[in-house]
Formats: sequence, structure tokens, C-alpha cells
Amino acid sequence: MSFRNILNSGKFVVTAEVGPPKGTDVKEMIHHMELLKGKVDAVNVTDNQSAVMRICSMAVCKIAIEHGLEPILQMTCRDRNRIGLQSDLLGASILGIKNVLCMTGDHVSAGDHKGAKPVYDVESVQLLKMVDGLNNGKDMSGSDLKGTTDFFQGAVVTPEANPIEPQLIKFEKKIRAGAKFFQTQAIYDIEKFKEFMKYARKFPVKILAGFVVLKSAGMANFLNNNVPGIRVPQALIDELKAAGKEKALDTGMDITARHIKQLKDEKICDGVHIMAIGMEDKVPTIMERAGLL
Amino acid sequence: MIITKKRDFKELMENIKNCKSFFLIGCSECASLCGTGGEPEVKAMKETLEAEGKIVTGGIVAKTGCQVLGTKTELKKNREELDKAECILVMSCGAGTQAAVEIFEDKPVYPTNDSLFLGNMTRFQMFDERCSLCGKCILDKTGGICPITACPKGLLNGPCGGCKDGHCEISPDIKCAWVRIYERMKRLDRLQELCEVTLEAKDWSASQKPRTLVTREEKKK
Ligand code: SF4
Ligand code: SF4
Repeated sequence: MSFRNILNSGKFVVTAEVGPPKGTDVKEMIHHMELLKGKVDAVNVTDNQSAVMRICSMAVCKIAIEHGLEPILQMTCRDRNRIGLQSDLLGASILGIKNVLCMTGDHVSAGDHKGAKPVYDVESVQLLKMVDGLNNGKDMSGSDLKGTTDFFQGAVVTPEANPIEPQLIKFEKKIRAGAKFFQTQAIYDIEKFKEFMKYARKFPVKILAGFVVLKSAGMANFLNNNVPGIRVPQALIDELKAAGKEKALDTGMDITARHIKQLKDEKICDGVHIMAIGMEDKVPTIMERAGLL
Repeated sequence: MIITKKRDFKELMENIKNCKSFFLIGCSECASLCGTGGEPEVKAMKETLEAEGKIVTGGIVAKTGCQVLGTKTELKKNREELDKAECILVMSCGAGTQAAVEIFEDKPVYPTNDSLFLGNMTRFQMFDERCSLCGKCILDKTGGICPITACPKGLLNGPCGGCKDGHCEISPDIKCAWVRIYERMKRLDRLQELCEVTLEAKDWSASQKPRTLVTREEKKK
């Protein structure tokens, strides 16, 4: 069953992430894909994540299909104008890519080509509208397409954004622009996430809670201080500290598994998105501990 | 106004190393306020060049250096000094420099400044950028704050996920443009409008370069 159908069927879905490498050696990436095959419902393929140049998302999505995974093409507005984006969307469509995640994209100043010209000809809301247009046979300038796309389009939201109001205004604009599902920035406070979900449930969209596994108390502090929209509660930091250096990662995996299980058991949201960031091999273990395998 | 910054002096000297004699043109408008091409700067430049063994045949502070005909007329009285100068150094913006290029067909013209942006002066010699001259203003939709300029990504429909505690993803020194817009719209009691309106992708053909504009009525021949 496709990602779209699984999500619409009401089953609790799990997505993971594949980060394309910098360079043409894809052995390790394919190994990660093989680990995830048959376990997750879809994999996001990141688009020059953190503005660091790597293999393009579309090519890796194609490889994911060949390895039996359903890809979610991440598309940012940073590197392509409206012509490039639409053209790539048509290309993705004929390669059999069904899902697209529309994002703004980290600024080039975060990446490894700081002198590059950032594009942002359109932004995430307009990109969602663009996808909706292509699905309905029209390009952005209103011209008819010969053969339309059939994308299942999603977007991202940051439930812990501070301030939250402007973020929610944009969330609603994304829904009106055609977003069918959302993957969230990493969450660590389930009670707060429940509040967000109470609000989000008013809309006919599916929500997948984002997870980034904590490897240590130090990492948790780093996220709190440096990553926008992430807030790790002190209780979790203490739990990681108490576990000691050796067992910190294991405890981090336990925390993630425990949270995922709670979301599923209490039917808080529609699924989860596990961003392993270099720990793809740990995803099956986390899923097992969460009772998902 | 147009914000300019003095070029690195070594770089300037490298660019003009093959010229001996100069005529200097400053500008009494933006470049004066920026401290890059007013009376004191033209005087200082003369002294510095002379200390470097160059000859300065003369100089003026044009009233409006980017105005081609006006500057040409002002320069009439400096005919002799101009004739003696091998090249022209322009101490205003890129537009002023190119006004001189148009006036002096046979002389090399060099800029002493880098032209940066259209800026507001917030305090004495402190400037910031608020308008990118996009050609089709949307300030009426954004509470009078320009996201094309104030947001490094030029986003039109709300903040990105990089906004951290109200500050921009690219620097904690920049307040997120969309948080500013949100706050202002809230103060103006226009939040509903902000929520309801999705701005279309901009029509960038309005800023197709090079732009020209004629507003005077053409005289009947
Ligand atoms: S929208 Fe911004 S860049 Fe465009 S004209 Fe208005 S202030 Fe200037
Ligand atoms: S944080 Fe705000 S100002 Fe900075 S890029 Fe994102 S939306 Fe624009």
C-alpha cells in the first residue's frame, strides 16, 4: 500500500530519513535503505540539508524506489526558481515519486557554499500551491500540462516555535495551499505536543511527530541552545545524565521509543518521523522498543 | 539614500597605479551623509593621494552626482583642471561614477567607494536596508515592513522554521521579519488580514534590469 493510502487508512505510520552523501559513493546509503526496507512506510530524502551540497534528492528517491522503499521527495525553495522546481516536479513524477515535502530550506549561510546566491523565488506556501496546480494539470503560469502529476504533498511545522502564533498562521496557510500531511520539527515534550495536536486536529490533515534521538545530555543542551524550535525538557536531560556516558545513547533510544509508543497508544497523532541523522541503523531497534515491529 | 562605503585604500591604489593625475568628484547628497564623498572626504582624499606622490589637479562636490546634465554643467568651470587630469576619481555611488563615465568619454573613471544598498539613516552614519526596489510594493499587505528586504529569504507568507526566540536563523542580531510583521499587524488589529491573505509568488519581471522610467510628458514635435 502506498504511503498516502496507509496514512489515509488510519494506520499509525512511521517514516525515516535518508541523507544523500556528498560524492558518488552510495554504498553506505544503500545499506541504510536496506535496513529500513519493509519496516518504515516511507523515507524522506533530504534536499541539500543544512544547505550543504550533496547528491540531489530526486536521484536518491529513484534509488530508494529501486530498493523497495517509498520515498518522500524533500524540496526546498533555496536552490531553484519556479521553472526549476516545476521542471523537477514533473521529472520526479515520471520517475514514480509520489510524495513531496515542500519546505523553505535553510539559508545558504548555514551551509558549505556561503557565497552562493539564495533563490527563494517562491516559498513553501507557494510551492504547495504549485504542486496542487501541477496535480490539476496547470503550471504556475496557468498553462495546461500534457499529462498531470499525482503528488501527495506535505509540509513541515514547528510545534515548539517561539513565538508560536506566526508559525500557526503559516501552518494554516499551508493547509489552504493544499498540504495533506505535516512532519514536525523534533518534539520532546509530549504534554506540550498534545496541546498542539488539540489545535491541529481542527484541520483535515495528517500529522507525523518528528523525532531526533538524543545521544547525550550534551547534545540535548546543544539542541536547546542552537536549534530553533527544539526544546528538550530538563527531566530528559537529567535522565540522560543519570544514565552515564556509556548508556546515554541507549537511554536516548529508550526515550524516543517510549514517546513514540505513547503517541501511538493514546492516538495523539497519525504517525512519527524519525530523523536518525547518522544513526539510521538504530531505527529498527527504536521501532522494536516502541512496539512497532 | 544610496549607502556607500570607502573601498580599501590599498585596493584603490592598485586600481589606479598606472595613473598620475586626478580630478576628484564628490557628491553633496547620499555620499556626503555616508561620509564617503562630501567636502571633508574630498579634501582628505586629495591630501592622501598627494602624500602617495600623485597629482590632484582639482575637485568638486557635485550637487547631485548621479544627475548627468547638472553635474556636466557644474563641471564647466573646472575645464582647465579637468584637462590636466589623466583620470577622474568619483567619490559617490556607482550611479555617480557612471554619470562621470557618460560625461568623460575619453578619460578613465574610477570609483573610490563600493555602493551597498538603498538605506535608511537611523543615527548619524548608521544605515540599514529596508527596501530592495522590487518594482511592485507589497508594504500595504505586510503592515509596512518589507519582508523582501528584512527577511534574508524574502519570504512572503510567514516565518520559516529557523526563527529562534523571535530572531532570524541567519543571525541573532536580526529580528525575524515575520515576527515584526506579526507584532505590528497585531498592534494595528489587522491579524485576521494577515491570516487570510496568501501572497502570490512575486512577478520579478517588475525588476528586470536595466530599468528605465520616463515620467515627463513628451513634447509635441
Ligand atoms: S515591497 Fe519592499 S522591496 Fe518592494 S518596493 Fe516595497 S519596500 Fe521596496
Ligand atoms: S527567521 Fe524570519 S527573517 Fe529569518 S529567514 Fe526565517 S522568516 Fe526570514
